[in-house]
Amino acid sequence: MTDEPPAGVDPVATPTSDVEPDDLAAPDDDPEAAPTPDVAPEDAALATVGLTRSFGALVAVDGVDLAVPAGELRAVIGPNGAGKTTLFNLVTNAIPPTDGAVWLGGRDITALAEERRPHLGLARSFQANQLFNGLTALENVRIVAQTARSGPFGLHLLGRGRSVAVDEAVALLDRLGLAGKADVVASNLSHGDQRRLGIAMALATDPSVLLLDEPTSGMGPTETRETAELIEALQAELDLTMLLIEHDMSIVLSISDRITVLNQGSVLATGTPAEVREDERVQAAYLGGVREAL
Amino acid sequence: MSRGSIVDRVTAGLPDAVGGVPLDQFRVPVGLVLVVLLLRPVIADPRMAGYPQLANTILIWMLFAASFNLLLGYTGLLSFGHAMFFGIGAYAAAVGLTRFGLPWVAAAAAGLVLSAAAAYVVARLIVQKGEIYFAMLTLAFAQAVHYVANQDPAGLTGGTTGITGASPAWLVSERGTKFVHVAGVQFDWYALLAVVFVVAMLAIWQVVRSPFGRSLVAIRENATLARSMGMNVDRYKVWAFTFAGLFAALAGVLVEVNNQGATLQLLSLSVSGDVILMTILGGSVFFFGPLAGAFVWLFAEDFLTGFNTLVLPLTELPMARIGLSGVLTYWQFFLGLLFVIVVLLSPREGIWGLLRRAVARVVALLGGGEGQ
Repeated sequence: MTDEPPAGVDPVATPTSDVEPDDLAAPDDDPEAAPTPDVAPEDAALATVGLTRSFGALVAVDGVDLAVPAGELRAVIGPNGAGKTTLFNLVTNAIPPTDGAVWLGGRDITALAEERRPHLGLARSFQANQLFNGLTALENVRIVAQTARSGPFGLHLLGRGRSVAVDEAVALLDRLGLAGKADVVASNLSHGDQRRLGIAMALATDPSVLLLDEPTSGMGPTETRETAELIEALQAELDLTMLLIEHDMSIVLSISDRITVLNQGSVLATGTPAEVREDERVQAAYLGGVREAL
Repeated sequence: MSRGSIVDRVTAGLPDAVGGVPLDQFRVPVGLVLVVLLLRPVIADPRMAGYPQLANTILIWMLFAASFNLLLGYTGLLSFGHAMFFGIGAYAAAVGLTRFGLPWVAAAAAGLVLSAAAAYVVARLIVQKGEIYFAMLTLAFAQAVHYVANQDPAGLTGGTTGITGASPAWLVSERGTKFVHVAGVQFDWYALLAVVFVVAMLAIWQVVRSPFGRSLVAIRENATLARSMGMNVDRYKVWAFTFAGLFAALAGVLVEVNNQGATLQLLSLSVSGDVILMTILGGSVFFFGPLAGAFVWLFAEDFLTGFNTLVLPLTELPMARIGLSGVLTYWQFFLGLLFVIVVLLSPREGIWGLLRRAVARVVALLGGGEGQ
């Protein structure tokens, strides 16, 4: 068991281990000098500037600077309680930040209400399955697609709701491998199908930036791999910028373009999978623990 | 989950469409017409209530309960103050008729507008409050309206006595039965009531099946998710409350004609409570649930209160007569017992759910018979 993660990342690990002396010095500087080395908030698809949230004495998210350029798949990792999900809640304004700013597509959206953000292209899926439980899979996706069309509020009293945006919803269910489950009530779907339905609903908002909170949690190894492949494929197809919270390190290292490591609410390091894996502080704070867990 | 399976079982074996039009589209309109056609003969039957006038009251309360279910069943909002909109409709019509000499149509329209506006303002003020705080605030507003009507401001509302003898010019009362007299034509008040009922219920049905109504259902299922998927949850709730207030006022306007006046009782807490109980008893997850609830509740009330005056075979036995008259005066106890039994048997789906399950079993049995 303990061999698996190193084996999985072996192709990347081998070349860097040859130049070990250089790398030992480099990661020390890299995250310090340039946590967001290449993009200003105005130019990023999604950026946070000094984003902070405290709950009483506890600072759950502490001055997080992120800048995710368009088209990047960015993983957010960190030990339990590092503030990953809170960061998502701050970015979507499910929880208002104590301090700091959020930028989306070159626009400061810090003051924008949560329900307006999906209409500007910011969508999320949830860590624990959040669905319209009593409604069918199709209706779950269709209502979101309807909302994407109508805007945050629409007093549309004519016609039949169930016939609005059906084609889009069916297409999304197909794409997520839920074609046969369209008429199944959401609460009766298997856990994995519920996870995929959550992603389908997020996609129904027609996002440019998608936040996925542990999309593979609770899945078996095969399903996890398939979902990771699906996420990678969707990103390419739909030209998405993605922020992904994920605990499975083999997935994180294989599909993400860059990784941001959170620890105790702050950014510990940001870099390519290879850079992050070689970062001593990351190893100390996080990766070692995960290797043990695996 | 049982909802979907029941529908599947009920509709299994039935044609899905005729001439390309889904049969499902006609289920509700046909059902509503059946309700108004069957209600009065059933109620007038000597084995039931025995007097047809009860059908008028039941029809009005069905509409009132359906307006309440826009909140409870379709949006997931609990209001303890729905009587305020019922009462505002009734009082506005009565005040318009008697104090301002308005034509009935104008007085009724004023009631609808006033009630919908009041609902909109109240909802705007309290919609962001959590569930129980929202419910308590609706109660507070309803009690405030009750207080104002009781105070008889400027001699408008008549205080504790309310307004009596406020009858539209076209209403004729003959030996306890009301008739509508328009342009030389006379027909039963129930007929007009039935038409207004069907039209109003179709309007409610259109609200719940429209894109707007589906958004309400999503909010009922998961308001947090609805917000994160881009819905302005509070605005949807405010408009649901406004429509509920509008249709409740229509029921209030009708009850004003039926009672030829408005009494303080219409604004009381017990009216707000009754409509909640009826809706839950009938089954708030179904469109027809509140209608079934209003029917069973009012019929049972009438049946039980009339029990000790009924001549039963049991009255031949002196022992039984003593026992019965002692117990049956507690009719509210039996109404409560009925409520408890239904809620235990069918927690969310009420009487309508029980009925659907029974029908599904019969259909399944018949289907099985055909197969053999």
